[in-house]
Amino acid sequence: MAEKRKLQKAETRKRIIAAAIKVYSEQGFSVPTVTIAEEAKVSHGSIFVHFPTVESLLICLLDSFSQSINNELQSLSESSGDIEKLLNMHINVLIQHEGFYKRLIKEAVYLPEEAKNTFIAIQSIVSIHFLQALEYEISAGKIKAVPFHMLFNTWLGLVHYYLLNGELFAPQDSVLTRYKSALIECFTALIKQ
Amino acid sequence: MKTCIACGMPMKEKSEFAMGDESKDYCVHCANEDGSMHSFEQKKESMIGFIVKTQGLAREAAESAALSMMKKLPAWERNFAN
Ligand SMILES: [Zn+2]
Repeated sequence: MAEKRKLQKAETRKRIIAAAIKVYSEQGFSVPTVTIAEEAKVSHGSIFVHFPTVESLLICLLDSFSQSINNELQSLSESSGDIEKLLNMHINVLIQHEGFYKRLIKEAVYLPEEAKNTFIAIQSIVSIHFLQALEYEISAGKIKAVPFHMLFNTWLGLVHYYLLNGELFAPQDSVLTRYKSALIECFTALIKQ
Repeated sequence: MKTCIACGMPMKEKSEFAMGDESKDYCVHCANEDGSMHSFEQKKESMIGFIVKTQGLAREAAESAALSMMKKLPAWERNFAN
């Protein structure tokens, strides 16, 4: 019986998380928790059993997003030195979370301090892999002499611009899926010398 | 798989452990030359330095982010206890 309750509890938690991702992606982070409860088909109170504050729910979503980016890019470190491959993997993992990520970059400035810092930590994970993939080519003089953070921010800037203007570049479609090759080709052409 | 208690890096290879010693709980990047673990201040500075180098953030923003990352790591629990 205790086992069954534990399972039920885990199931509810999963439903809340899935609903929160959906609702936040579609309507933004200021949506009231009651909307998430409705989407998850749970009572409003049960959200707070699992997540005492709205912020803790948001941090949980960010942590799991961070985990999935880390897992995805980790597999690359063995075959480092291939920047195209890394950019490809980066976009692939963003495609899996496209709605959520787009909302995140759109509303990042309004997020609570802790969530903002978690977002910086996520980009920090990406930057580690980015650095590993480029290190060899930078030291071999194959990359233009630009500070590393400018290379990284140029890439993020490009990806974020397309994401934020998705309605213009790919109406009703995944902008990252449609522009993946174009973005990667353009960026690598810009940085190589 | 073990992850470094001081920076969170996953440690798979022997060479990723401090002094190549797999019984250690921290990684090669978090160890001093004598094998001891970096201090709180040392680690904080190196994290700030890394964020500034890779993301180009202002020092104040990088510091706030570094502290929030450290807060989640077991090695620094006591530094945040109040
Ligand atoms: Zn470490």
